[in-house]
Amino acid sequence: MRNKQTIGCFLLIVLLLGVAVSCQKQETAGAAPNDPVPVTFMVPAGWPAPVYNFSNNPLTEQGIELGRKLFYDGRLSKDGNFPCASCHQQVAAFATFDHDLSHGFNNQFTTRNAPALQNLAWQSTFHHDGGINHLDVQPIAPITASNEMAETLPNVFAKLSGDAAYKKMFQEAFGSDRIDTEATMKALSQFMLMMVSSNSKYDQVKRGEATFTLPESLGYEIFKEKKCNSCHVEPFFTDQSFRNTGLSLLPVLEDIGRMRITRNVADSLKFKVPSLRNVMVSFPYMHDGRIRDIFGVLEHYNTGVVKSPTTDPLVRNGIPLSNFEKGQLVAFLNTLTDQVFISNQKLAQP
Amino acid sequence: MKITLSVLVFFGLVGLMGCQQEEGLAIQEAPLSLSFSHKANNDVLQLGKPIVNPFGEPYTISNFTYYISHFSLVTENNTRVDLPVSYHLIGEKQASSKKIALMAPAGNYKAIRLMIGIDSSRNVSGVQTGALDPANGMFWTWNTGYIFAKLEGKSSVSPAPLQNVTYHIGGFATPDNAIRMVELPLPEVLRLRAGGQPSIALEANIDAWFNGKKPVRIAQEAFSMNPGPLAVKISENYATMFSVIKVNN
Repeated sequence: MRNKQTIGCFLLIVLLLGVAVSCQKQETAGAAPNDPVPVTFMVPAGWPAPVYNFSNNPLTEQGIELGRKLFYDGRLSKDGNFPCASCHQQVAAFATFDHDLSHGFNNQFTTRNAPALQNLAWQSTFHHDGGINHLDVQPIAPITASNEMAETLPNVFAKLSGDAAYKKMFQEAFGSDRIDTEATMKALSQFMLMMVSSNSKYDQVKRGEATFTLPESLGYEIFKEKKCNSCHVEPFFTDQSFRNTGLSLLPVLEDIGRMRITRNVADSLKFKVPSLRNVMVSFPYMHDGRIRDIFGVLEHYNTGVVKSPTTDPLVRNGIPLSNFEKGQLVAFLNTLTDQVFISNQKLAQP
Repeated sequence: MKITLSVLVFFGLVGLMGCQQEEGLAIQEAPLSLSFSHKANNDVLQLGKPIVNPFGEPYTISNFTYYISHFSLVTENNTRVDLPVSYHLIGEKQASSKKIALMAPAGNYKAIRLMIGIDSSRNVSGVQTGALDPANGMFWTWNTGYIFAKLEGKSSVSPAPLQNVTYHIGGFATPDNAIRMVELPLPEVLRLRAGGQPSIALEANIDAWFNGKKPVRIAQEAFSMNPGPLAVKISENYATMFSVIKVNN
């Protein structure tokens, strides 16, 4: 009897397994030998979870490599001269080295300074006015802007589709050699998501791998004492909010900032708080690059704040800074330069 | 042993039924096709033809394109049946875009509902494909969001450069939400049956853009190229543009 029961149970299990397998078959196919190699996104210790939804665009070695090729490829622009990297240079933490306003197709200037690209996986809005709400659609703006890359998406895809090397790379990354908006943007995102800056001296100090010099540690104390960290919140050194830091409206640019997006007068002259990571290599400063040098920025907060109805209460009456304090602050800001990031060969031109 | 066997048979049946349900044999689906025609100035729309709007302002239309999505059918006893969400870009220039094939549960229906525009979630969730591909040109790049509808042309009374008339309507966030749901009564009951070939003919009357609810005069408001009060006003106007002119059962 016991044996029969055992056989019955065994049969039951076999049948159930059979049913389960037959159901499963309709859903999952086995891993093909040419599947792209998954890459795990590493969150630095103590940092919050990224806001980017990786499940919609899983990182792979092939996707990242394709994104890198696209990022450095002039064919994404109308005349071939303006890859993403023309305004986003690694040596300047992917801002434009030594340029106030970015310039693009046919010798045209834009109205803003190219922002540094770093730690984008934690960023929920893009551009100085936050007009872009998702990393995957951001590149469409510079590619199609007439004073930047000045190209159309269909033209970009036609050019890339004529290149067998690209078709192969799209095939390997996304399982189809169809070159379209989705695949192109997702590849660019995958590459840009790898731009993680978390190895500055500041980070090493936080990890207990290095110690600040006296000026650096004094500067860090002043940074907190003067409440710079109210807006430049660690570990990203930005709270991603939009604020008017008392910069006057330049008549030639007439850039009203966040108000351009929200049409709310309360947002007039507000711009996104930039990260201070790699601040020493991403000069000139402010959304339009009007201040060339870091001491000029500190002097702006010391004496240059222009009061208007939307000027932020935190800087409205200025931030008094002595020359000594400025010197120590700059010593601290120097510790935010991430040499590993700006010299990482995996982020360089392929 | 008897117990074991019946348990075995029971679980086996449950398992098989599980498989069947996944194949979706339970609900009877029937095809439904929609066709769209466009009218302006009481005549079939002809791009480039000189016409007048309801205020007598002369103009020509060079482009008329819009998104519709989120179809529902309303049964005779007022139950709303939501169809699987789909997005469709309809353009006067693309004849093939003016026919839509849907699948819907068999039944009798007295009205059709649709969204003019794209729900907010698709406006904030990154790059989309198919009808929603930003490469289709119905997308604001600098202020992320879809352009739900475009009406472009020229008018001698337009104060805009080159006498352009440019209405790009979109906006998914409060207070500039231009997403419009419309419910259109059917002139006769739609009888959806498996094996049938029923169709609904819809007509969009462009005149409604100017006077559907509130007046929009080209001489005063010739262009709308971002979310805002004018876009909302025009969207409320064009929410009245559709009517169902025929049901073929």
